[in-house]
Amino acid sequence: MLSVLVLFAAITVSQAQDKYFTKTGKITFYSSTPMEDIEAQNKTTTSVIDTKTGKMEFAVLMKAFQFEKALMEEHFNENYVESSKFPKANFSGTITNLGDINFKKDGTYKAMVKGNLTIHGVTKPIEVPGTITVKDGAIQAVSTFNIAPEDYNIEIPSLVREKIAKQIKVTVDMAYEPFRS
Amino acid sequence: MKKLIVIVLALVAIGGVVGYMMYNKPHRSTAAATSDFVVSAPTLFQEFNTDETSANAKYLDKVVKVQGTVKSVEADEAGNVIMTLDAADEMFGVICTIPKEEAANAAIPEAGEVVTVKGVCTGKLMDVVLIRCVLVA
Repeated sequence: MLSVLVLFAAITVSQAQDKYFTKTGKITFYSSTPMEDIEAQNKTTTSVIDTKTGKMEFAVLMKAFQFEKALMEEHFNENYVESSKFPKANFSGTITNLGDINFKKDGTYKAMVKGNLTIHGVTKPIEVPGTITVKDGAIQAVSTFNIAPEDYNIEIPSLVREKIAKQIKVTVDMAYEPFRS
Repeated sequence: MKKLIVIVLALVAIGGVVGYMMYNKPHRSTAAATSDFVVSAPTLFQEFNTDETSANAKYLDKVVKVQGTVKSVEADEAGNVIMTLDAADEMFGVICTIPKEEAANAAIPEAGEVVTVKGVCTGKLMDVVLIRCVLVA
C-alpha cells in the first residue's frame, strides 16, 4: 500500500508519459478439483506501471473478490484470508526483460515480472510470465500464474481440503491508461 | 424399530435439504438491505483518509448509502458498471461496482449527475471501494 503511494508520489516528479495506471484492473482466481470448481473475481485492482524503469505495483482489497456462492465468499473472507485482519494484498515488482518491450510501438510483447507478493500478511518472492500489449497509447498487461494457499499461511481445514486446489490459478488483466497529473 | 428407521431417514432428508440450502444460500441483497450508514462520498473518503483503521472498523462489510457526484462511468465487456464518485480529491474517489444484473435494470447515470448508491464497503486502496451496488432513486 505504502509502496503504491510512493510510486504515485514519484509519478508527479518524473515524466508523466512514462507512467500508466488503472483503478479497474481485474484479478480472477480459479480453484479446480474433481469435487468443486471455485472462481472469484475482483474488478477494482489498482495498478501502476512505469515504462521507463519497468516497475509495477498492484494493490487489491480482499473483500472485493466476488464469488458465485455467498457461502464461498464467507469462508474465503472469514476463515481463509481473514480479510478483516488483512484487508489488502499487494504486489511490487519489476519487469526483468524491459529491453525486449517497446512501449512506444504497438505490438505484443512477452514479459517476465519479478517481485514480492503479499497476501494474508505473508510476503513471498514470485516471478511470473505475462504478456504486454501496446496499442494506440494504452497498455494491456495479462498474466496467469499459480500460487499455493499454504505458502501464505492460509490454513484450509482438512474437511474441505479436497474441495480446494493445492494450486490456485490467478489471472491478472490490467488495461492501463496514460497517467495525467 | 420401523418407526425409528423412518425418523432417522426423515432426519437425514431434512439434514440434506438444509445443507443444500446453506450451500446455495443467496448473496445478501443490497437492494433489500437497510443501510447501516448514510454518508456523502467526500465524507466517506475523508474518514478513510484520516484514520483508516477506525474507518475499517466502522464501515467494512456494512451496507453504506453514499451520495455524490458521478466523476466517471464505465462498463466492462460483461456489462458490469464501474462508477466513480467524486470525493473532493483530485485523483481518488469512491468506486462503486454495479453488477450486470442490476445495471441492466437501472438507468446508468452520466458524469456530473448527483446520485445515491447503496453498496457493501470493502475498504480503501487509493479509492474507497463499494461492491454489489444498487442505485437508489
